[in-house]
Amino acid sequence: MSVPSEHLFVLAAVLFAIGAAGFFLRRNLIVVLMCVELMLNAANLSFLAASRMHALAAGSPGLSLEGPTFAIFVIVVAAIEAAVGLALVIALYRNRQTVSLDALTDLKD
Amino acid sequence: MADALFYVMAVAAVLAALGVVLAKNPMQCVLSLLASFFALAVIYLLAGFQFLAAAQILVYAGAILVLFLFTIMLLNLGNPGSEDPTDVRMFSRANAGLMVVVAAALLFVAALGVRRAGPLPVAASTPKTGLDPIPALAGEMFGRYLLPFEAISVLLLATAVAVVVLAKRDRRPNEGGRT
Repeated sequence: MSVPSEHLFVLAAVLFAIGAAGFFLRRNLIVVLMCVELMLNAANLSFLAASRMHALAAGSPGLSLEGPTFAIFVIVVAAIEAAVGLALVIALYRNRQTVSLDALTDLKD
Repeated sequence: MADALFYVMAVAAVLAALGVVLAKNPMQCVLSLLASFFALAVIYLLAGFQFLAAAQILVYAGAILVLFLFTIMLLNLGNPGSEDPTDVRMFSRANAGLMVVVAAALLFVAALGVRRAGPLPVAASTPKTGLDPIPALAGEMFGRYLLPFEAISVLLLATAVAVVVLAKRDRRPNEGGRT
């Protein structure tokens, strides 16, 4: 593939923007967590694009392994975040019978 | 050929991501997210990250999305007609316009950064073993990044315990001291 690295970065930015917009717009807690996953994925793509850019640089070719390593860490953190978030959603549903963020205004009122 | 496939997959990933944000039913959101993850995995593969593509499929599509699906089915939120009624007015307020502005600003900043960086090198030849060969990656993981690796292992263990505690039934503190 001979796509310039800019295009990978722009794709990552577009995905992050969509994820951020969904995070603020949606009211369903589960969908909000999905939008967080989308943003983490965009960050991953950005890491990998930077790694590829350095690995294929004209002057100093060679592997650049920081990107893939941190991408793996991000994947693990995403899994942890999903597990804890969904456990909280289940506990919340058990107490309130809802997953809507509009119903959770105890600290505001 | 590979270039065309990249652009097709990029468009697919963006459309699927939009589907996550716009779909009413959480089940459709999960399926859109799955499509987005698969498109991204193909992009990783095209860019030369073979192990990461496999990890993306295994961990994201195989584990995380199953967790989402399981939760939606457990809470019975996926039925047609049982959509969250408050989600309907998500685009009818000023926050929708505000989010468009924020997203456009994010994209503008990203485009400005790319423009300032000048033309980035074009991939001439990706090595046959890819840009993330597993032996080299393992050497990094258990060498330079051993401490973060151990820290994240402890975090995973703590998460497993925390999730069991959180999702357990009957955690009322006023029920005779069983917490």
